[in-house]
Amino acid sequence: MFSKSRLALAALSLTAAALLPLVAPSPSHAIPAYARQHKTECSTCHTIYPELNEFGEAYLRNSYVWPSGAHAAPAGKGEAQRTEGLWLSGIPEMLPVSFTATIDAAYNSRAVDELDLSSRSIRLQASSAFRDVAAFYLTYNLYAQDLQTGAHNNPNNASPDINELFAIWRHALKTPVNVRIGRMEPKLSLWKKSNRVITVPSFASTTYTQGQGGSQWSVDTPQDALEVNSLIGDRVLVSAGVANRKGQNSKDYYGHISGRFGGTDFSGHEPEVDLEKEATVWDYLGITVGAFGYSGHNGVIDAFGVAQERNNFYRAGAEIDLLYKRLHLKGSGVLGRDTNPDLSAGGSALHSHAVTVEGEYMFGAPVDVVALMRYDYFYNLQGATRRYIPAVAYTPLQNTKLSLEYIYEDGAQAINRTTLASLAFSF
Amino acid sequence: MKKTLLTLLVLALSVSAAHAGLKVVGKGDAMRLDPSAFPPAMKANYDIMKVRCVKCHTLERTIVAIQTGIAPISGQPFDRNATKAYGVKMLRKPDSNMSKPEIKATVDLMNYLLVEAEH
Repeated sequence: MFSKSRLALAALSLTAAALLPLVAPSPSHAIPAYARQHKTECSTCHTIYPELNEFGEAYLRNSYVWPSGAHAAPAGKGEAQRTEGLWLSGIPEMLPVSFTATIDAAYNSRAVDELDLSSRSIRLQASSAFRDVAAFYLTYNLYAQDLQTGAHNNPNNASPDINELFAIWRHALKTPVNVRIGRMEPKLSLWKKSNRVITVPSFASTTYTQGQGGSQWSVDTPQDALEVNSLIGDRVLVSAGVANRKGQNSKDYYGHISGRFGGTDFSGHEPEVDLEKEATVWDYLGITVGAFGYSGHNGVIDAFGVAQERNNFYRAGAEIDLLYKRLHLKGSGVLGRDTNPDLSAGGSALHSHAVTVEGEYMFGAPVDVVALMRYDYFYNLQGATRRYIPAVAYTPLQNTKLSLEYIYEDGAQAINRTTLASLAFSF
Repeated sequence: MKKTLLTLLVLALSVSAAHAGLKVVGKGDAMRLDPSAFPPAMKANYDIMKVRCVKCHTLERTIVAIQTGIAPISGQPFDRNATKAYGVKMLRKPDSNMSKPEIKATVDLMNYLLVEAEH
């Protein structure tokens, strides 16, 4: 009896051990500070948080300014009730700070601590727009406790550190161009790392790494960068950037283009729907396609800041996002090439590739539950890895999410089965 | 002086008349419309609105938007174009749980209420 209950718990938490490195920094980037600023509910921007809905994506692309109107009232009561001095100074009327915390339970029969309740994290988030002219965004990892995998009695805590900190100059010099500078997740993928129902593990297509040690790099790694982006006709987004990673004297370059057919456009305008007529497919359908490229370099840095065993690499990706009523499909594929992926003397080049496909179905009221199935595949220096992830997520309140996922990972060297139950809440 | 008083009286009457068509009961989260004077079709539409719309927000938000002509969150004008845009937005929200006929019913009701609020 006892062993059966343990097995049941194991079935819940097993998969998390395989995800160990992924669990600790998992908190979402949902920002209740926005809800406070605009006096609106989380569901304005999110389906089940932190995944964004169409309006939330428009808010993100519009540099955290309310879309479809440059004169949105941050206090929710019109400009007349703003404190003029603060408004003229560009200072937010309330401190735009939020927190997101996660508490996890993981089970993995192969882990040292089969049932691990110690995995948890808390992240500080801050973001605001200054008079619709500029904006900033910050996420700071306050605390993250890894799962226990090895023989250590006290698994490492992830060091408190900035995850993202960037400033945005909107419509610079009164042009349609926005400028971002700072530490950021470069605009490559259609979805930010946090724009998912379940954030652990992240999509293999954007998080797979190549090689070991210093060669660890993935598409969604936050980097120090300068980026420009612009909307063309409300339905096409182009962005380009240059990244300058610490300790590296060379620059990386990247670009992104995406377009949307049907649905709410990138500026937040709703599609034309004739309410007098019978429903058509296009009343509900929205398709977004995107492509990106990244060309970079890394290597072992010597005492003079010069990269030895240099690795030149690129990633090229294509993605599609399809929303139809309560069905949401996401597909992402990436090709890559590294000239020296393990940063060794005389290392040989390697081609890599990764694919992620995720299908989500929202059951909606009266129970806000999303069921999803994800398939991940990536091939890197260690070989091929496949993941199959069924999961459900439930939000009893808009700022609280309970999720349960089973992660079956068929790796090049071992099979891992982890069950992860997670409680996340933002405030 | 008489002219000024007359002007003020006319202004005061016109202000009070502006909300004559909207009979509101309760305050804050409990704010509701009194549909007793609605045409039958709009009564049916109101039955839909008071159930569906409150899933995510209070009826106060909708009523204030209609009364003031300003959407409380965005600060944008709340007119017929806005009611349709909000309707389409709700139609496309996966978690709104509203069908197209229900969306049409609530948009029709809001348009009716906008006209009533002007009288």
